Amino acid sequence: MKGGRDLGSWLGALVLAAAACQEQLAMPSRCPDLCPGEGLLIRDTVLLPAAGRDSTFTGYIAAGEVSALLVSNGLPAGDARAWAIFPDRPDSIFVVGVRYAYTVDSAAMVIQLEARDTAVRGVYLVMHRIPLELDTTTTLEALDAFLTPESVVDSVQIPDSLRSGDFRLRLSPEALSRLEPDETDSTRFAVGFRISAPVPTGVRLGSNLTGAPLYSTFVRVPATDTALIRQTITITADGSNFAIAHPPLTDPDLLFLGGRSGSRTLLRFNLPQFIKDSATIIRATLELVPSQPLIGLLNDPSELQVRAVLVDFGAKSPAFAGAAGTAILESGSGDTVRVEVRGPVATWLGPGGLTPSLLLGLAPEGGTFSRPEFFSTRSPGGGAGAARLRITYAVASRPGFP
Amino acid sequence: MSGRWLPLLLVVTATGSASLGAQSSQFGVRGFGLPMRPISVRASGTGGGFSLFDSESAVNPASVAQVGRLTAGFQTVQVWSRSESPLGTATIRANRYPGVIVTGPIGGTPLSLAISVSGYTDRNFSLASRDTIELREVPVEVLDTITSLGGISDFRLAIAYRKSPRLQAGLGFHLLTGSNRITSHRVFTDTLYAGASERSTISYQALGISAGVTGRPIRFLTLAGTLRADGRLKVERDTSRVTSTRLPVTVAAGARVELSSRLHFAGGAQFRNWSVADSGLVDLGGVGSVNTTEWSAGLEFLPNPSRPARRPMRIGFYRAGVPFEVLRGTRITETGISAGSSLEFGGGRVRMDFSLSRVWRDGGPDYSERATMLQLGVSIAPPGLR
Repeated sequence: MKGGRDLGSWLGALVLAAAACQEQLAMPSRCPDLCPGEGLLIRDTVLLPAAGRDSTFTGYIAAGEVSALLVSNGLPAGDARAWAIFPDRPDSIFVVGVRYAYTVDSAAMVIQLEARDTAVRGVYLVMHRIPLELDTTTTLEALDAFLTPESVVDSVQIPDSLRSGDFRLRLSPEALSRLEPDETDSTRFAVGFRISAPVPTGVRLGSNLTGAPLYSTFVRVPATDTALIRQTITITADGSNFAIAHPPLTDPDLLFLGGRSGSRTLLRFNLPQFIKDSATIIRATLELVPSQPLIGLLNDPSELQVRAVLVDFGAKSPAFAGAAGTAILESGSGDTVRVEVRGPVATWLGPGGLTPSLLLGLAPEGGTFSRPEFFSTRSPGGGAGAARLRITYAVASRPGFP
Repeated sequence: MSGRWLPLLLVVTATGSASLGAQSSQFGVRGFGLPMRPISVRASGTGGGFSLFDSESAVNPASVAQVGRLTAGFQTVQVWSRSESPLGTATIRANRYPGVIVTGPIGGTPLSLAISVSGYTDRNFSLASRDTIELREVPVEVLDTITSLGGISDFRLAIAYRKSPRLQAGLGFHLLTGSNRITSHRVFTDTLYAGASERSTISYQALGISAGVTGRPIRFLTLAGTLRADGRLKVERDTSRVTSTRLPVTVAAGARVELSSRLHFAGGAQFRNWSVADSGLVDLGGVGSVNTTEWSAGLEFLPNPSRPARRPMRIGFYRAGVPFEVLRGTRITETGISAGSSLEFGGGRVRMDFSLSRVWRDGGPDYSERATMLQLGVSIAPPGLR
C-alpha cells in the first residue's frame, strides 16, 4: 500500500511536469505611456541620383539571341519585320527502318504568337519567300526590299481570339511551289514576315530562344502498310531575327530602356551613412517620370525590373539576383512609374552592404516594342523630373529601459 | 572544500535560476522587474512565514547552520495568471525554475555551507499596442510588440556557524547578475511596409553581502534576523555602460513558536528601501521605485514530529509591496495565500515539497492580476555523503 502511494506521488509529479508547458501571450498596452520605451522610430527621406551619374547603356542582347520576333506595320514604337531561315528538308525519310522517297501532299507553317494588341482585329500575317542573304545586320530597309508583292507566299489571319499560342498557316499547292528549295540556295530557304492590319499594330512571335517557326510537310511514302503511307516532316527554323526602326530619342539626355539590343539604366545614389549603419528599410519606392507617354504596343505591357548591383562597373555592373522590384509598364501611360524596391535597397545596408545603385531593365529584354524614356538629372529644368528614391526606414528607439 | 561537493556545485552553476520565455506579470515591466522571493517550496507553503528559519531559503544565512547532511534542492513553479488593465485582459501560463541550492556541513567543524541560485527579479513580459502614424502623408496603422526575456539572478555563497543549538550566525556573499533580452517589433497593416525589429540586451551586475542570526532564547521560541546590503547595480545595454544605480538594504526579522510538538507557527517582516534606486531609474527614463514592506505568517502541522518531512500540512499568507510602480504614485501590493506539504522517499534521502498559492496583485483601480502558482521542489541527500 505504501509503495502504491509512493508510486502515485511520482506519477503525480510526472503529470505536473508534463503540464508545465509554457506560452507567451502579449498583454495589451498603451505605448509609450505604459511601455518601457517607444516602438521603432519611423522616418522618411527622398534620395536623388548623384547628379550626372544616372546613365543608360545598350548592347546587352547578342544580335542573334532575341527573345521574340517583332513584326509591325507602322507602329509608332517601331516598324518591324521578321525573317526565318529553314534548314534542308531531307529528300527521303525512314519509316520503320526502311528508307522511302516521298511525294509532298501539303504543308503548313506553325508560328508561335507571344503577344499582340488584343484590341486590334483582322491582323494578317503575310509570308514572303526571300533570299538567304540575311544576317543580324540586315536593316529594315534591306528586308523591306525583299517583301514585295511578287514574293508573297501566302497569308493567314491571326485568330482574333488568340492572345498567345500557336497558329497555323496552311500552304496552298501554289504557295507550296513557291517554297520549294532552290538548288542554288543549297536547298535551304528563307521566309520573311510582315503584318497587315486596319490600324498600326504589332505582334511578337516566337524566336529561336522561345519557339521558332516550324515548317511541316505532309507527305506520302510507297509503303505496303497503308497505315504508314502518310508521314509528316517537320523542320524548325535554325535562324530567325527581326529588323526594327525605332523612333529616335527625343532627347539624348533621357534615360531609356528596351530596344533590340537591350538597354539598361544605372542609377547611383549617395546613401546617408546613418541609414547604411543603423536603419532598417521598411519601404523604398523608386519614382520615374516619363518624358512622354510610354512607347510600346498597346495591351502588351512590359515589366520594369529594378535590381541592386553587386559592384559598380558601369555598363558591365553585375546585377544582384536576390531581390528585384518590378512594375508593369503600360504603353501610352504618361503617369509617374512607381516601383517598390525595398529588397534591392535593403542590400545596401550594413558593413557588407552593396554599392547604392539600382540597375533598371526591361523584360522581355530585346523582344518588346516597349521603349520607355524617363527624365534624368541632366534633363532640362535642372533634373527636376529625375528619378527619386523615397525611403521609409526605421531606426532603433532602444526600448526596455528599467 | 571537499571534492564530494564538486558534482553538486556543477549542477548549481549549470542550472542557474532560469525563467523560460514567458510573460510573468504586467507588474514586471517597470524597473528591474517583479521582485522574486528567494524561498524554498516548503517555506512558500507557509506563505514565507518560515523563510527566515529555512535552510533551503536564501533569506537568512544563519539558517544554513541547521543542515545535518549534504543536500541538493531544485524547484520549479508553474503559473497561471490573468492580468487586467484598462486596455484589456491577458491570460498567461508560464513556467519558471526559480531556485537551486546545495547545502551541507563542513565535516569536523561547526560550520555549514550553502551555494544557491535564486531569482532576484523577473522581467519577462510581452506588451502589444496599436497606433496610427502618418507615413507619406497617409495614416497607417501600426502594431507594436515589446518583449523582454530574463531577469536578475542571485548567486549566493553562505557560511553559517553553529555556536550552539540555541544560537547560530551566518554570512552570505551575493553576486547579482542577469540580463533582459529586449525585442521590439513593429508591423504595419499596409503590406507595402515591411515589419522591422530591434534587439538589445540589458545586462546587470552587482555584489551584495548579508548577515543573519538565529537564536532560541526559550525552548518554544526561536527568533531570527537578517540584514542584507547590495552594492551598486551596473547596467549595460549590449556592451555599453548605461548607468549604475543603488540597490536597497534589506532588513528582516521573524519569530517561530512551537505551539506544540506538532504545530509550529512562524511569521516575519521585511523592509527594503527600494527608493534608493528611484533617482537612477528615473534618470534612465523609468517610473522609479518605492520602499517596500512584506509581512508573512504561516503554520506547519507535523503528523509525525520525528519525521517532519512526512506529509506535513502547511498554510500561510503574505502581503508585500512591489517596488516598481506602473504609474507614478500608484502603489502595487501583492497578497498571497498558500498551502503545501511534503513527501519523502528513499529512507528520507529524497524529499518532494509542493505548494499551491493564490496571489492577488493590485496596482490601483485599473491594474490587477490574479495568479495561481503550483510549486514543486525536490531535495536529494546523496547516500554516503554527510
